Amino acid sequence: MAEAIDLLIVGGGITGQSAALTAAGAGARVAIVDMAQNVGSHANAGSLHVQMQSRFLRLNPHLAENVESSLPLYLAAVAEWDVLDEALGGVELTREGGLMLAEGADQMAFLREKAEREAKKGLAVDILERPELERIAPYLGPNIVGAEICRDEGKVNPLIANRKMNARLSALGVRHIADRIIGIEAGDGKPAAIGQARHKAAHILIAAAWGTEALTRSLGLRLPTPPEPLHMNITEAGEYAIKHLVQHAERSITLKQFRSGQVVIGGGWPARQNGVESTPRVRGDSLLGNVALAAAIAPGIAGLRVLRTWAGVNTPVDGKATIGPVRPGARVSLSLPGDAGYTLGPIVGRSAAEQILGLPSQIDPTPFAPNRWYD
Amino acid sequence: MSKTVRFTFDGEPQTATGSVSVAAALTGAGHTRLRRTDGDSARGMFCGIGVCQDCLVTIDGRPNRRACMTLLEDGMTVETQAARAPLSGPAPPRLKAERLSPDVLIIGGGAAGLAAGIAARAEGAEVLLLDERKVAGGQYFKQPARADAPAMDPQQADGAALVARARESGVTIVAGAEVWGAFDGPEIMASTATHVYVLTPRALIVATGAYERPIMIPGWTLPGVMTVGAAQTLWRSYGVLPGKRVAIFGNGPLCAQVALELSKGGAEIAVLGETAAPGWTQPRAVAAMALSNRALAAKGAGMLAGLRRRGIAVTWRAKPLAIEQTGAGLTVAYQAGKRHRQVTVDAVCLNFGFQPQNEILRLLGTAMRFDARFGQLRPDRSAVMETSVPGVYAVGDCCGLGGAHAAMVEGRIAGRAAAGGSGPTDKESAELSGHRRFQDALWQVYAADEPPGIEHATPETLICRCEEVTCAKLDDALKAGGSDIGAIKRATRIGMGRCQGRYCAPVLAAYLAGKQGRPLEDLSFFAPQVPIKPVDIATVAATEALLETPPADG
Ligand SMILES: Cc1cc2nc3c(=O)[nH]c(=O)nc-3n(C[C@H](O)[C@H](O)[C@H](O)COP(=O)(O)OP(=O)(O)OC[C@H]3O[C@@H](n4cnc5c(N)ncnc54)[C@H](O)[C@@H]3O)c2cc1C
Ligand SMILES: Cc1cc2nc3c(=O)[nH]c(=O)nc-3n(C[C@H](O)[C@H](O)[C@H](O)COP(=O)(O)OP(=O)(O)OC[C@H]3O[C@@H](n4cnc5c(N)ncnc54)[C@H](O)[C@@H]3O)c2cc1C
Ligand code: FES
Repeated sequence: MAEAIDLLIVGGGITGQSAALTAAGAGARVAIVDMAQNVGSHANAGSLHVQMQSRFLRLNPHLAENVESSLPLYLAAVAEWDVLDEALGGVELTREGGLMLAEGADQMAFLREKAEREAKKGLAVDILERPELERIAPYLGPNIVGAEICRDEGKVNPLIANRKMNARLSALGVRHIADRIIGIEAGDGKPAAIGQARHKAAHILIAAAWGTEALTRSLGLRLPTPPEPLHMNITEAGEYAIKHLVQHAERSITLKQFRSGQVVIGGGWPARQNGVESTPRVRGDSLLGNVALAAAIAPGIAGLRVLRTWAGVNTPVDGKATIGPVRPGARVSLSLPGDAGYTLGPIVGRSAAEQILGLPSQIDPTPFAPNRWYD
Repeated sequence: MSKTVRFTFDGEPQTATGSVSVAAALTGAGHTRLRRTDGDSARGMFCGIGVCQDCLVTIDGRPNRRACMTLLEDGMTVETQAARAPLSGPAPPRLKAERLSPDVLIIGGGAAGLAAGIAARAEGAEVLLLDERKVAGGQYFKQPARADAPAMDPQQADGAALVARARESGVTIVAGAEVWGAFDGPEIMASTATHVYVLTPRALIVATGAYERPIMIPGWTLPGVMTVGAAQTLWRSYGVLPGKRVAIFGNGPLCAQVALELSKGGAEIAVLGETAAPGWTQPRAVAAMALSNRALAAKGAGMLAGLRRRGIAVTWRAKPLAIEQTGAGLTVAYQAGKRHRQVTVDAVCLNFGFQPQNEILRLLGTAMRFDARFGQLRPDRSAVMETSVPGVYAVGDCCGLGGAHAAMVEGRIAGRAAAGGSGPTDKESAELSGHRRFQDALWQVYAADEPPGIEHATPETLICRCEEVTCAKLDDALKAGGSDIGAIKRATRIGMGRCQGRYCAPVLAAYLAGKQGRPLEDLSFFAPQVPIKPVDIATVAATEALLETPPADG
């Protein structure tokens, strides 16, 4: 018989792995069960977001309040990445700040108002006029009139972070089980995750991103997690010049450069997907539009060539994290970052694990409790 | 009269004669080191056909130009490409954008594509043919870059005639046009030095040919080490020899043919090493070859006789083990039967089989099957060469090695069908099976004991030349629990470089399958993604103007 499991985590992306790291680090016997399908953490671009993303606000004006109230969580999330960078032995983390660019007076006005709101939540934000901006970002095009800088933002190299996280979890004895879970049994005894096999544990943590909806319906929750298929582009390496995470006040774009010199262009352009579990495919119009926009705002990259594109699945939910037991005292818990899941995954995973193990928590999880999803 | 072209390389004035690629001009001038890698190694021309991306140079201030695919122009400033180009180059040229919807679009102007074009025209279809090379003709018919150059031999003359026939029949040939995008529809994206295109044809014929499979041994990435086809292109297209003293190692008749061509051109062939055992040890296969195609078999025998006359002995059962840059040149340690030998030369040429350029087919989702004998994926095709995706045809070597003659027959059949004409005639079917029998017998004669995999590679051998990933690093990733090819890629960066996995993917897929006792299939390889070749950001930006609906900016 296999050794008893204290904590079984369904979903082995950055959120589930971070929960495993916390729990195994505290001495718990941990296993991750995963179906290795549409892993957002394998597709993401490694932007560490803090300031409110204009794209999310534009697409979901009704959720602005959720995003704004989550800002302190974002600050805790990047602090958690600092801890991870240290613990994993370097994941190419830089915290040189993020720029949100404006192309006209109205966009500058929008950024000014946004910055004021963000400053109230404790973010280190400033408005830069063109001359100051040009000094720190000489690769930008002439149409850019200014920007908001958020000094808390940064980036990591997710390839390195994921590789080192895997190695660390193996070293801690975290078990990996390949299975597709179709239901969770949460009776009075030990809960179990049902797949090809029945996986029993003292506690189950669902960290299944887009897979959460199907797994929580029978637990009395109505928690929609529609997958959002997204597109990314990466270029060949150039001299390291783009130090910030670059976004735009009105258009969908994230532009940054890995330490390896490759420029990564994304920002939420759509990919094509047929059904929740199918692998998304790159769309031609997204490739053209996304890269053309990057070339327009940063003409300095025009000498590089696009090497590859890919599509992956994001799980934005309601722009707010969900953390904690499905009901007070339940032995099944959730950890769902909401938007910017790679940024938030480590703090959300850690916080969920801390609650389960009764450890002192880094953040107050109460506002993120699953009770807003009760059916 | 060939005119003299003046250019500079790293500030030094240089000259070249006639119409040559930048790579050929530099090779002729004795410069083989073209770029530095991130690990600070020197690299040079390797594939000669735009696949490996190791010949990158900075031309007139624009970084990341392929020296093998760029024709030299008077007054060019060529510089060694730094590992990481500055983000401050000159503004890219303005490109004209065009959307076209031909009846039949053909990608690739080799034997297969040209034959398809002629056949489709004969049915009255409007035909557009794109080829990334400056001159159509493909690998077999390799045409000289200079339009007025006399043909070197009947093979080149036949090619010139075929290209002329295609033009006369009304096929619109756009040379220097690289296809970089393929999407469902099919919707094809291509670019030249002056134009960008979005193409939505009624029927698509993919005729993209093959590229060469190297052998991964220590030193295979050194400047001066190149594929046999690269050396052949230098000589046949540009009249430049890869070096004075040349060693050729590989498997198959191309090695012998190129040895003979280079020797006639004035090179000294220090070694011609063939992996297979000599043909006389396999009389049955040789007989089968002669029976299926007397003319081709005779051509092969004539080639070997030609080599003997020039004093070039084939070293059978030969295998290169390592290449080292020494003061005197490139020193190759190799095995000849059971003996170990060494030779020092200016250039080393390698060809260990072919790999089909099937990226476009895989992107369009055509059903593929793995051919274990040749170690390559082949698309499922109907009798008229249609793939599993309606309206998408595939012909020639991009479907797996078949040879130029079969490629032409396939092209004819597909061209006619794509234009709405009738199916294959009995004569065509008979011709095709004859050519296939010949290929089959040919590769039995040349059967090597072991495929050029990495099962015996030494730890320091580079498996991924772009990202400089060694065999040791790969094995570490496997030990750490990486299982599928995507996981290995993310863990090691194997396959993430500029050649987009063209060299490492086939060997890696075979290595993984071997270790795990699984058969190879489409999923064993890296998932296909656009762009098909690295594409300029400026090209993408210019193509965006052709979007019919405004961008789907979320
Ligand atoms: C292209 C792209 C770029 C992005 N860029 C960024 C960025 O720059 N910064 C940022 O902060 N965020 C980014 N994101 C979002 C981010 O990647 C995700 O939100 C984040 O990785 C989510 O992590 P996770 O661990 O919660 O879920 P995931 O990494 O998605 O993992 C979920 C796991 O659950 C498993 N699973 C699901 N259902 C089941 C089941 N029934 N049984 C077993 N296993 C199951 C899946 O196999 C998967 O491994 C991006 C997303 C995409 C798609
Ligand atoms: C390097 C090499 C040398 C060879 N030499 C000989 C020889 O000397 N003798 C012999 O008998 N056989 C030789 N062969 C084999 C023989 O050339 C082939 O069997 C024959 O050329 C097949 O014809 P094809 O039309 O299928 O492909 P090819 O002749 O290879 O033509 C394919 C064409 O497609 C173009 N192309 C590919 N991808 C793209 C793209 N994305 N966009 C635009 N254009 C594209 C290429 O530029 C090329 O011109 C050689 C093969 C190779 C690879
Ligand atoms: S030599 Fe130019 S791309 Fe390979």
